[in-house]
Amino acid sequence: MALRIWASSTANALRLSSATRPHFSPLSRCFSSVLDGLKYANSHEWVKHEGPVATIGITDHAQDHLGEVVFVELPEAGGTVTKATGFGAVESVKATSDVNSPISGEIVEVNSKLSQTPGLINSSPYEDGWMIKVKPSNPSELESLMGATQYTKFCEEEDAAH
Amino acid sequence: MRIPRNLEVWRLGTVNYLKALKLQEKLASDRKINKITDTLLSLQHPPTYTLGKRRTDYNLLVPESELKNMGAELHYTQRGGDITFHGPHQAILYPIISLRDIGLGARKYVENLESTMIELSSLYGVKAHGQRKCETGVWVGDRKIGAIGVRISTGITSHGLAFNIDPDLTFFKHIVPCGIADKDVTSLRRETDLVLPDDEVIQEQLVSCFARLFGYNDIIWKDKNVIEIDD
Repeated sequence: MALRIWASSTANALRLSSATRPHFSPLSRCFSSVLDGLKYANSHEWVKHEGPVATIGITDHAQDHLGEVVFVELPEAGGTVTKATGFGAVESVKATSDVNSPISGEIVEVNSKLSQTPGLINSSPYEDGWMIKVKPSNPSELESLMGATQYTKFCEEEDAAH
Repeated sequence: MRIPRNLEVWRLGTVNYLKALKLQEKLASDRKINKITDTLLSLQHPPTYTLGKRRTDYNLLVPESELKNMGAELHYTQRGGDITFHGPHQAILYPIISLRDIGLGARKYVENLESTMIELSSLYGVKAHGQRKCETGVWVGDRKIGAIGVRISTGITSHGLAFNIDPDLTFFKHIVPCGIADKDVTSLRRETDLVLPDDEVIQEQLVSCFARLFGYNDIIWKDKNVIEIDD
């Protein structure tokens, strides 16, 4: 798996476009990939807003810094999430890390594949590794999130500072 | 110029597990709002078995009622990792620190915790290593000398590491420690020929290794009685 992640990150760093991702273009200068068209929280979660539903997961930067995910705790559909509040957790390297929701709303779907295959978060953080789908209760919250360029810079500054 | 960073270390002696957990929760929420600086709890527990978020209680090999007869408690926690045992003569560090302030992710943080125990071991001539076949923890050969189980919430850490100075290793026979069935647990006492000083000395050395590895400029030592801190 490590080889696959390295390969996909290198492909993104070299700006190679992927035929399987026609709607989003990779936009990264660093090792982790950042997708255009998504919004990002400073706690390293992403949101993809399509019509009435927003999909949420953690970024490539986040999964890289976590290590191999072995367990994912998710809420039930029908529950609610609140902006900047935890809705679940992932476990890697004997560390459980809370995952925060970038927006508020009602959970309409949860990715049940993650209980059997938690590693999807590492191998496909923006697609198969999605965590929850939410009906936003306050769409204006999306505006205060970062865009791809801003998030890329945020990651670079965070990693460089130390 | 890098801003100097201080670490406040609380020497707590032996503390009941739940009391320590309650204290960590309070400190973590204070740290989150920057009310306090990075804080490290240095302590030991009375005999206690704990489980992580995955609740792997199939790795407890005896009924819970029997634990009470042994004088041990059992607690379910939100930390990562599998089942483990804490008891007298096992050095515990619970760092309550902001990972965002020092730009560390979970993986690097845990590696640093492993290095802390590896460095401490080397002070006594014991060659330990971490990340054995991607299994988090600290090992001497095939034998586990140090365990890690951590919780990270909004970038603030709690729980931490447990290093075996000279605990009663028979307590580990009642569990599959960390979910690993065929490997032994060991201690500093077993692995070194050197005469060990008092636990307090070793615990201080462990704290110093931690502070050095994490780049703290100053350590502020505080001796605390947990009963005083109960609000």
